Amino acid sequence: MPKDQQIFDKICELLKPYNVKNKPILRTSGIMSDLEVDSTAVFDLIMELEDHYDISVPMEVISDVKTVGELVLAIQELLQQ
Amino acid sequence: MSGTGGADAGGTPGLSIFSKYDPLKQRVDVVNRIGVDPFNMTFDDIMGPTRGRIGNREIILAGTNNYLGLTYDEAARQAAKDAIDRHGTGTTGSRIANGTYVEHEQLERDLAEHLGKPSCIVFTTGYVTNLAAMAGLAGPNDVIFIDADAHACIIDGTRLAGTTTVRFRHNNPADLDKRLARQAIPEGGHALVVIEGLYSMFGDIAPIDEFVEVAHRHGAYLYVDEAHSYGVFGATGAGIAEEQGVLDQIDFYSGTFSKSLASVGGFCASRHPEFELLRKVMRPYMFTASAAPSNICAAQAALDAIKSRPELRTNIMARAAQLHDGLNRMGFDLAAPASPVIAIRRPNEAQAAMEWNWLLKEGVYVNLAVPPGTPQSSSLLRISVSAAHTEEDVNAILSRFRALKDQSGEILNEMMRKIAGG
Repeated sequence: MPKDQQIFDKICELLKPYNVKNKPILRTSGIMSDLEVDSTAVFDLIMELEDHYDISVPMEVISDVKTVGELVLAIQELLQQ
Repeated sequence: MSGTGGADAGGTPGLSIFSKYDPLKQRVDVVNRIGVDPFNMTFDDIMGPTRGRIGNREIILAGTNNYLGLTYDEAARQAAKDAIDRHGTGTTGSRIANGTYVEHEQLERDLAEHLGKPSCIVFTTGYVTNLAAMAGLAGPNDVIFIDADAHACIIDGTRLAGTTTVRFRHNNPADLDKRLARQAIPEGGHALVVIEGLYSMFGDIAPIDEFVEVAHRHGAYLYVDEAHSYGVFGATGAGIAEEQGVLDQIDFYSGTFSKSLASVGGFCASRHPEFELLRKVMRPYMFTASAAPSNICAAQAALDAIKSRPELRTNIMARAAQLHDGLNRMGFDLAAPASPVIAIRRPNEAQAAMEWNWLLKEGVYVNLAVPPGTPQSSSLLRISVSAAHTEEDVNAILSRFRALKDQSGEILNEMMRKIAGG
């Protein structure tokens, strides 16, 4: 089971191509509001995470996710299931 | 500043109910400084399937999704006029109340027959069709799988269904295969895979035959939206599923009247006779007014044309190939091989908006398409070809794009000046 920091690092790595203004990625960063990743790109990012961890992340699970930290938590919960 | 009443009533001080749209407003302001608002423009007149007018300028319409050009077809217009004379201008009722006329039922029978399905239900719009059918089909234990480039009405359909939804990579049956295997389906539930035939933004075509194999191997139902391909593809116009030889295996087949069928409305047909039961559960079918008789009868006439005039499909494919080839030779970055939807990738939203305005000024109307409504966060100049376009029309469109390319330096300079407020 990957650790919290490993998931955060992986998300940061996958976010890079979408973070076009190269803003610092913090756990408190709003994925859409601060990093300016559009909704379609967020779903593309989720598919990358699904394939990396071999999990299914239904769209409704991430509809409440606003920040990078919340995404880390959501992935952790799915990995524990 | 107006509109902060909510703050006085207990909202966040300094913010109005519209404040969440501030980032959008910034984008809109940039586009408005560049020129006409591409998402709120009006023609002073529409004279035919390929011609409009703004002021005293005639505009070639190349972004109307009027694929077969039947909105001005003599038989379709006459059918609509006769329907108004017979039944008035509207039904004032839903399909489950007083809103089902014999013409609605006749059209359902004829569409079902064309698609070789035992059941077909007609809806008030194409958007409503997918909302209604998807939410009616998928219950709490079912899982919907949608293509990554799904149209907004399919995404909204999953929201109305309220079920687990999984997204798979665009036009990739192998990726669907993987995700169907990965996602557990709850006890008593089923998988519903939703794809489109021709994707409306890039104009790329789905390998429906491969999706049929993958979906059915997993015991999933396959729902295909052929809004942009019905009437245009297939020997009889029954779409890409017909062209790929799998029409009979499609579980649910949806379409719209607002493209090839030259009207307003939508339909969903099924190879499962039990689909008829959904008339009693689909809220967007039950609780909205039915399509006006004139719309239904115009669609009926257009359906007759689709079945009896294969030359319309020959024309549109020839014009699409001509336009795609011409743009390709000029070096434009085209999103997909030739089809009636041709999308040109532009470097960014502002430049695309500037070029859209320039083309309109030069007498050609295309669509501006920007994120998040586009795949891969693309900014696009999107063209839809019509069977009513002539070879000369396409040459005229190509000449404007040639001029756009030749004058790109000046156009960009003008854009920078306008954005800067000069």
